[in-house]
Amino acid sequence: MDTWTNLQALKSGDALKSLARRSPTYYSRYAGEQDEFGYKLETFAKWEPVFRFCFEDYFKVKVQGIENIPTEGKAILVGNHSGGLPLDGAMITIAMCNSHPSPRRIRYLVTDWFFSMPGVGKWIKEVGQVRATLENARTLLEGGELVGIYPEGIRGVGKTFRERYRLIDFHPGFVQLAIATQTPLIPIATVGGDEIFPNFVNAKSVARLLKMPFFPITLGLPWLPFPLMFIPLPVRWLINIHKPIDLGYPPEKASDRKLVLTLAREIQYGIQRDLNELLRERKSIFTGWDDQ
Amino acid sequence: MATFTDTYKKYLEAASAVNPDLGFEIETVRRLEPVLAFLYRDWFKVDMTGLEFLPASGPALIVGNHGGAMPWIELMLLYALMSSPAHPRRLSVLADLDWIEDERLYSLLRELGFVSFSSAHAKKLFAAGEIVVVFPEGISGAAKPFSERYRVKEFDWTKLLPAVEERVPVFPLASLGCDESVPILSNVEHLARFLGLPAYPVTPFFPWLPFPASVIPLPVKWMMRLLKSHPYEAAKSRHQSEETAKYLARFIEGGIQAELNRLLRTRIKPLL
Repeated sequence: MDTWTNLQALKSGDALKSLARRSPTYYSRYAGEQDEFGYKLETFAKWEPVFRFCFEDYFKVKVQGIENIPTEGKAILVGNHSGGLPLDGAMITIAMCNSHPSPRRIRYLVTDWFFSMPGVGKWIKEVGQVRATLENARTLLEGGELVGIYPEGIRGVGKTFRERYRLIDFHPGFVQLAIATQTPLIPIATVGGDEIFPNFVNAKSVARLLKMPFFPITLGLPWLPFPLMFIPLPVRWLINIHKPIDLGYPPEKASDRKLVLTLAREIQYGIQRDLNELLRERKSIFTGWDDQ
Repeated sequence: MATFTDTYKKYLEAASAVNPDLGFEIETVRRLEPVLAFLYRDWFKVDMTGLEFLPASGPALIVGNHGGAMPWIELMLLYALMSSPAHPRRLSVLADLDWIEDERLYSLLRELGFVSFSSAHAKKLFAAGEIVVVFPEGISGAAKPFSERYRVKEFDWTKLLPAVEERVPVFPLASLGCDESVPILSNVEHLARFLGLPAYPVTPFFPWLPFPASVIPLPVKWMMRLLKSHPYEAAKSRHQSEETAKYLARFIEGGIQAELNRLLRTRIKPLL
């Protein structure tokens, strides 16, 4: 069985060595580097096969336009958020690690709530994510990193199934950041993520009680015992990466709120339009855009 | 006639002030007024906001999303404008009417204010200071299947070009309810081509039930949101006005879609 080879890599012991073999550029770029935000190549190498299994065998992700992400220098990736568990970011990270001409990591800005969970916060930092503050984002961009932002925020992850692929209005902060730091923006439309955990109801009162941003009632949660409820549906994914947008405004314009809001809306509308188009072309949830 | 004249006094004044002579008949509107009022108030229970953004006089273009294959949106907007307490206005609908071969249907639509789309007609209406509505998704957008409900199709920017050239303010209109009141299961393109129709939608009732029953819409509660006009700079050249129309079409399309998303998120009960 070809399907399980990605997971068998988990047993092979030395994760770093197999990462170096699979993606030498990625390895040499980040090996032995001290990261101030706590990135650890060992942790990434250990977990990469799990997400690569999801990417290649389970969701069978199709990526369009990966070459639009620059091989060097800073950029801000903006996308539609989805999926109960934010796997959409992980899928783009895997694509960048394995199928980009010059593999790079993506630093996602993550909401504070995840860092309040014991264990999870540390893990999230070690695989490359950063607490979402303006200062962190600026530092990352000055270091020439790829910064991933989901301007819908955590509410975008908690969308119900009825609202799938319907964007919540973007917070315009990412445009402000892009203008202030003179960074190109790369919009990304992801189809698939909103259907892996069909979220029928958002139980707001339970969420408030548990101090969670949302509490989804899905096919598995909260009915099934622990690991089973986190098994996603094998939906076919497509990630469409758009061409980089150079906003072309001087840094002073970052405080022009009307301009910033209009630009944020334009980018939001562009992603929504692309989602509508991709959904219209899709044959079915489980077979995606292929004929079979 | 007397009660109609009393109730719609201001509307009659506004409608008879200028007549660009494109087939409009106040008599037909008067005859259909009870049907429109019933649909608007009791059947769809339309919740309409934003009419105050429209100018009290002078031209304006309304751009909307379409769905449900039947011209219910046009009729509801027509009634909303004629019964508006502040500034009742006449509505002209620019649409593709060339496929209609039945003379009676064609003249009925013309008498209600439908005008076949052309740049010349649009400019004539703007010159007469009319309010004009256009649905740039085209007929394929109007006949979109139920699974794609409230997903706006790409706007045809050429439909906005006459307005940009005449510097008429453009207002987006987001309508929620139209796609569900006529749930289209599929569009039989072969049959449509054979019959010379632009689309042949199949619904749970059409074509199965006998005629009047097959076209009755479901009593879904409608929400219509007229949004603020998006300002644009006056174009100096042909190329510039085309660019403006393209930008405006994209931005308004996105704005309508975002408003529909917002409405869907906050809506509680779609039926009744």
